[in-house]
Amino acid sequence: MGLWAKFKNTTLYKSIYRNEYPDTPRNQVLVILNSVVLHLHPVKLPRRAVRVSYTWGLGGLSLLMFLILTITGVWLMFYYVPAVPDAYFSMKLLETNVIFGAFARNMHRWAAHAMVIAVWLHMTRVFYTGSYKPPREFNWVIGVVLFLITVLLSFTGYLLPWDQLAYWAIQVGSNMAKVSPVVGTYVQMALLGGYDIGPATLIRWYTAHVILLPLAAIVLMAMHFWRIRKDGGISTPIPYDEDGETDPLNEPAK
Amino acid sequence: MAETTEKYQQAGPKVQPGQKEEMVYTWPYLVSIEAIMAIMMIAALTFMSTFINAPLLDLANPDKTPNPAKAPWYFLGLQELLLHMDPALAGVVVPTAALILLGMIPYFDRDRRGTGIWFSTKKGVPITVFSAIYTAVIEIALVVFDEFFRLPWMTEGSHGISPFITEGLMGMGMAREYVSWIGQIFIPLVLMVAIPWILVVLVKRRYKANMREIMIALYSFYFTSFIVLSAIGTFFRGESMHLMWPWEVKPPH
Repeated sequence: MGLWAKFKNTTLYKSIYRNEYPDTPRNQVLVILNSVVLHLHPVKLPRRAVRVSYTWGLGGLSLLMFLILTITGVWLMFYYVPAVPDAYFSMKLLETNVIFGAFARNMHRWAAHAMVIAVWLHMTRVFYTGSYKPPREFNWVIGVVLFLITVLLSFTGYLLPWDQLAYWAIQVGSNMAKVSPVVGTYVQMALLGGYDIGPATLIRWYTAHVILLPLAAIVLMAMHFWRIRKDGGISTPIPYDEDGETDPLNEPAK
Repeated sequence: MAETTEKYQQAGPKVQPGQKEEMVYTWPYLVSIEAIMAIMMIAALTFMSTFINAPLLDLANPDKTPNPAKAPWYFLGLQELLLHMDPALAGVVVPTAALILLGMIPYFDRDRRGTGIWFSTKKGVPITVFSAIYTAVIEIALVVFDEFFRLPWMTEGSHGISPFITEGLMGMGMAREYVSWIGQIFIPLVLMVAIPWILVVLVKRRYKANMREIMIALYSFYFTSFIVLSAIGTFFRGESMHLMWPWEVKPPH
């Protein structure tokens, strides 16, 4: 008996993996049911929905970007100082004095852009495949809110390096918000913590960026994924009678 | 609203009543694809992060305004609108309305037929192409017109539709506070409602579109607007936010 086979016979291995390698139908079912991560999936799914050209994996890639951003983001938090002007110098030091410092920051930056693009394209994919149609209406609404949160996450992160690019991009962006009809001044005070971008703004946006918005995103993502399953899994064409004109499950458009 | 005059035409494979979907196991059919895509994406990001550095300019200086000062790229479409209309309209009303209308799509389009098929019907692709071209042509034309349109009697340096109306009406003896909203709010609002409205009318006439196909036209309008305006804001706006060719756009100074 080989070493690996012996290891697979130990109590430790058996306590972690409850079934054999999934190469039989029985184990292919069990691996999905027994794993918390894989359990997001159904055990079986329509062949047509597995095609890459149907979904382009965009929802999954959005989640992957979120995971990468969480990992690199926590890593950056060990070095980042959310204060004016220390924030800027902590980023300078990160690039020169920390091993893989620049790499981690680059990864965070590019994954953030990639996430905005992936989420937006995912929304476009869902739209053009008609996957928002009943009974998936409310999951579409949750998705639109998640898109907004993704953009806000990116935008709040934009200010944190406290360089010229960050400061003036946020100046332009928040100038748009402060002219809101009626509530403009309140929006400005809430966003900036004062009349202009300053130390109060930085700590607000930092807190929103590292805890408030990620928590909101996590809660909404949980609802989003849960509802995919509850609303009938991945979207597939609705069976209906070509001659009967009407959709058996819904009234025709008037 | 939309008349369904023809049978609902599917472009993709048909599912007849009573016909069962062919099912496959998630492991390995889906899990393997997810793993491959994740690895490819991580590899691409690792490669990019190794060779391209995230920008870090000088320390923020509130006294030194860069020229031009631009928002992050996904807001450049809105910043582009800012050049043509009232800031509250461009920066608050338009994005809020866009998000609310996006969220309302499934409450207008209630017919389940067409679910799970790219573009849903045979007319889906032609309508998408038509809507995209319609939107791009009109928006590019409007941006260029607003940049270069000026008449000799207009104030030095002013150009575009809004100053034309404001200064014209002021020349006729009306006070600025009564007329500036016409060019800044009224005309842009009319245009922003009329362009998609006319698109819907055209698509209904030309393609006898049903509700799903009208939604395809409107989403294509939104999608194309985002791309066209963001691209103009990113690549064609240089010093003082003037329109120029991408090779003339210099980094902010």
